[in-house]
Amino acid sequence: MPTLREIQRGFRDSLLDSGREAIAGAIAGDEIAAVDRLCIHRNTMRSVLTGSLRLSYPAVDRLVGGDFFDMAAARFIRTHPPVSGCLDDYGEAFAAFLQAMPETAGLPYLGDVARYEWALTRAAHAEDRAALDLMALGDIAPALHDGLRFMPHPSVSLLDLDYPADAIADAVMAGADDAMAGIAVSSGPVRLVVDRAGDGVRSERLEADAFRFLQALFGGQTLGALAAWGDSDVARYLAEQFTKGRLAGFTTEPAASLSGSLS
Amino acid sequence: MTGPGASPPSDRAIPASAGIGLRFQHHEAVLRDRPRIGWMEVHSENYMGGGVPLRCLDAIRRDYSVSLHGVALSLGSADGLDSAHLDRLAALTQRIEPGLVSEHLAWSVVDGTYLADLLPLPMTEEALEVVCRNVDIAQARLRRRILVENPSSYLRYRHATIPEWVFLAEVSRRTGCGLLCDVNNIYVSACNHGFDAAAYLAALPVAAVAEIHLAGHTRRDLGEGRSIRIDDHGSPVRAEVWALYEAALARFGRVPTLIEWDNDIPPLPILLAEAGKAERRLAKAGEARHADAA
Repeated sequence: MPTLREIQRGFRDSLLDSGREAIAGAIAGDEIAAVDRLCIHRNTMRSVLTGSLRLSYPAVDRLVGGDFFDMAAARFIRTHPPVSGCLDDYGEAFAAFLQAMPETAGLPYLGDVARYEWALTRAAHAEDRAALDLMALGDIAPALHDGLRFMPHPSVSLLDLDYPADAIADAVMAGADDAMAGIAVSSGPVRLVVDRAGDGVRSERLEADAFRFLQALFGGQTLGALAAWGDSDVARYLAEQFTKGRLAGFTTEPAASLSGSLS
Repeated sequence: MTGPGASPPSDRAIPASAGIGLRFQHHEAVLRDRPRIGWMEVHSENYMGGGVPLRCLDAIRRDYSVSLHGVALSLGSADGLDSAHLDRLAALTQRIEPGLVSEHLAWSVVDGTYLADLLPLPMTEEALEVVCRNVDIAQARLRRRILVENPSSYLRYRHATIPEWVFLAEVSRRTGCGLLCDVNNIYVSACNHGFDAAAYLAALPVAAVAEIHLAGHTRRDLGEGRSIRIDDHGSPVRAEVWALYEAALARFGRVPTLIEWDNDIPPLPILLAEAGKAERRLAKAGEARHADAA
């Protein structure tokens, strides 16, 4: 008699790969074959997960078409099933997966559009956290100022993209048949900061210096190290992150363990 | 039906009336129109992040009793529960103060992989022990009783030894959990496996049943005279399920009853009208009980 764990592993193998049907032997069959009964669950799983991906990647869906999206999702689900029961977390690896598919070689910007859409999804669903108030730093002893390091709000992503994915996604979602006609796809790289502001998700293009500053800031560099850049814009860049609510906390501890989910 | 204004916000109990499963598509309409409905139920996993969905739920909770219905805790996992998922459910429960918290007699996680469906358990002594252990852990972490829902079923295992209704009743007896009786699921499984739906109802412990679910399902023709019922929550409740619901009310009395509609979701008034059909049957059940008592 198979153990429960053996049943569950066999079931998983069957759902993710219709060629692996060893579990069918444990299922009572009658006029409806065990493999057909398993197929009901496989269809549900694919439908739920494909729907979840489609919600996160609406512009990708429009760019590649529904049928191709379904096929790509089916392949992705097989090799990248979710590891969390909360499907808002599912699908971060889809961008790299799409980019690596030989069939998408004609859409070199597809991976960047997907990365941009994942940042939007992440910003929309990130946990709530109060923005850091500048006044909270008032009690820090001056001697500790150089060692201050800041933590980004959980909704923040930094994107360094080869293509203008924000403009492409906006045009595609606007729905015009010739949406892509007005987009200079090869207009060069864009650097974006994406986050949530109030009820809305916000995307902002950054110049190279500002982007480099945010990478350092959100990457855990100390205030002293940032100040040592000697750039007159550093104070302005930092103040802007406070006013836009992109900082969620700070530490004076030296440990280099700030969680980094920034791409 | 009970109007939202009839209960103060601090009264979190789910009334013995009809409620609706609330999906994102109806957030705006509910917040704008404040429909007269006894209570609402949401899928817990849809509110485990932050942002707009959680703020909408907070706002709805101020005016309505809310139940949390989970689809991914995976009470039947041989591996035990995902403690991170349970922590997120505990945080949501603390925030929303739901009247009821429910999960399914099913599994969906193995070796850390979430399979996004309510998968069938073999009805064995081993599975019974696993489910009871997981229910105990969940109830201890949430510091409250949970309800466990009977699943719809499309297959059975050769080595199963316990009827599902006996299994459920035993989970409730051993752990003290309540039961969520999904009447549509009983009907679907009874058709798919050829057992007597009325006997299933008769085997459930009356005192444990704290909620009823109703939903639509479809009959899929497989050719050669074969068919299977699929619990897809994409249509009105079928006449046969309404009849079984009346039998359930006769046995369990007035129990909070939810209309679930998750696919091809209709406009809110249609969903509310479906809840109205349940409400009328609930009222009749109350009258019958009253007459019996007199």
